[in-house]
Amino acid sequence: MARIDIDSLYKRFGAETVINDVNLSFEEGDFIVLVGPSGCGKSTLLRMIAGLESISAGEIRMDGKRMNELPPRDRDIAMVFQSYALYPHMDVARNMGFSMEIQGRPEEEKRSKIEQAAEVLGLNRLLQRLPRALSGGQRQRVAMGRAIVRDPSAFLFDEPLSNLDAALRVEMRLEIARLHQQLGTTMVYVTHDQVEALTLADRIVVLDGGVVQQVGTPMELYESPANLFVARFIGSPTMNLMDIKVLAQPLGEQAFLSEASQLGIRPEHLTPVDAGEGHLQGRVEVVERLGADSFIYAQVPGAGRLLCRSKGNTSLKPGVPLGLHLDLPHLHGFDEQGQSLRHA
Amino acid sequence: MPPVATPWRARLAVAAEPWLYLSPSLILIALVMLLPLVIGISYAFQAISLMNPFDSGWIGLQNFSTLMDDAKFWKSLKNTFHWTLASVVLQFLLGLGLALLLNRGFHGRKLVQALVFLPWAVPTFLSALTWSWLFNPVIGPIPHWLAAVGILSEPYNILSDPDTALWGPIIANVWFGIPFFAITLLAALQSIPNDLYEAAAIDGASAWQCFVKITLPFLAPMILITVMLRAIWVANFADLIFVMTGGGPANSTQILSTYIFTTAFRKLDFGYASAIAVVLLLLLLAYAALLLRLRKSLKMVDS
Repeated sequence: MARIDIDSLYKRFGAETVINDVNLSFEEGDFIVLVGPSGCGKSTLLRMIAGLESISAGEIRMDGKRMNELPPRDRDIAMVFQSYALYPHMDVARNMGFSMEIQGRPEEEKRSKIEQAAEVLGLNRLLQRLPRALSGGQRQRVAMGRAIVRDPSAFLFDEPLSNLDAALRVEMRLEIARLHQQLGTTMVYVTHDQVEALTLADRIVVLDGGVVQQVGTPMELYESPANLFVARFIGSPTMNLMDIKVLAQPLGEQAFLSEASQLGIRPEHLTPVDAGEGHLQGRVEVVERLGADSFIYAQVPGAGRLLCRSKGNTSLKPGVPLGLHLDLPHLHGFDEQGQSLRHA
Repeated sequence: MPPVATPWRARLAVAAEPWLYLSPSLILIALVMLLPLVIGISYAFQAISLMNPFDSGWIGLQNFSTLMDDAKFWKSLKNTFHWTLASVVLQFLLGLGLALLLNRGFHGRKLVQALVFLPWAVPTFLSALTWSWLFNPVIGPIPHWLAAVGILSEPYNILSDPDTALWGPIIANVWFGIPFFAITLLAALQSIPNDLYEAAAIDGASAWQCFVKITLPFLAPMILITVMLRAIWVANFADLIFVMTGGGPANSTQILSTYIFTTAFRKLDFGYASAIAVVLLLLLLAYAALLLRLRKSLKMVDS
């Protein structure tokens, strides 16, 4: 287990700055998820922690020890790649035991460790197979097995589930969560999928353009996003955003309204009410019934399309006029620069 | 309507149809490859010498029994092994090294890659002449260099010494053949996914371990097929030797293919030349069969 500290880290490719002044501390045993859109620098940051990418400026420490100059093999980390990076000419057992083969460990130790890891991941019957004879999910397990066998002080995952189909992704997500509970090792996990981030993380780091946008627990990010980017990125369906002008009159004097330029409210805090009541007036555009919830898309003049999420079924039909009630304590205000007013 | 038995002509037409479509290429292959091969093999069992035009006809295995007692044949056979082994091994090792170097990023890589291919593009006749001049102490620098570093006692022409003469064409051949291995192995190297090396770096592998445990297994199928092809070409490759030494001095650089050539076109003894050619063909077939079996038994890497 390891504590990881990152101090004013930079990564430049030529004139381009991919990682820009990143400062982070990961506690021992934390499950950290780095999340952001593609090209935000999350994979680069992970690869810098792994030692696969050089550091332009700043410092990475593990348990207080400077890592910058150490090659990957001296960092005591294990990594699971997006492509799994299994050695195609070696069977499952040899893939998993490769790190011990390199170190010239005795055969019995190798076998017992491989069997132990195979037990945890349910790979016992597949040990003699070559990677090409495995399904996507099985390859994913082998890649994790290879990491577990090394018993590292930190696991690094680079979008490990993005090559799996939806059903398998949910299953492997649970598997990874269970693994973290079982091993208690520090894990750093990169994904572009905010659902994975919310479900897996102890703490989430949201990155955009190589800059950390916000760090916090999943609920902190969900309930008080630091800026417009995080507000849009975290949460599914996404937060409703509208210009302040639309609401200036119906809301009257709210504490932060004077400085706000945009307002945001999550779909579950927007309640459909009878036409003429509530803060906003509009017309039902589409109704989606998901069983437990209903999504009501409403066209509101000036604000565009807003989404309400209400529990259970609804009797609303497309084309019907309706009013929308805002749950005011959950209203988010953002200033001209997109910074959250409540957060500051 | 009761089924009517198809008349035999209709059935014949159906059976013949694919063969008729194939016939142009089959006829071509038969005319330019199979027929000459059969005629060539049949020569091996005949006495056909333009010097003795009246003494020709079928003589059974007599050519082959003469071969058994022909010291020149055995010497050529030994030289063929020596020539092929040394040429292919050196070409392969140096070509692999060059491919590994070219696989790293550096400035002007594209240009170097193009230059590396150059020896391959020079006509063999020209490179043979140039190399024989380079080995000539009167005009070439190589004997002087070799004497200066102490490999030769004095700057003489290694092509004129029966003990060293074969090394002349071998060196020329290595220079000529490196690009073939460099280019084919470079293509194979570039198909190895980079994350395997990253995974291995995290697993703790050193550069040498990466090479032995990842690069070589990936290259193995390509190495086998190129070494096989190259060995067959080199064993048949008479141009360099013929131009540089003409098989001499004292047959010390005679290999089977130059021996076949001189027997057929200098001594004009086609029967005997065909017999040697048949032996060479059988040897190469046996060699190819061996390598192909080896290739099959190797676990092939997913590409």
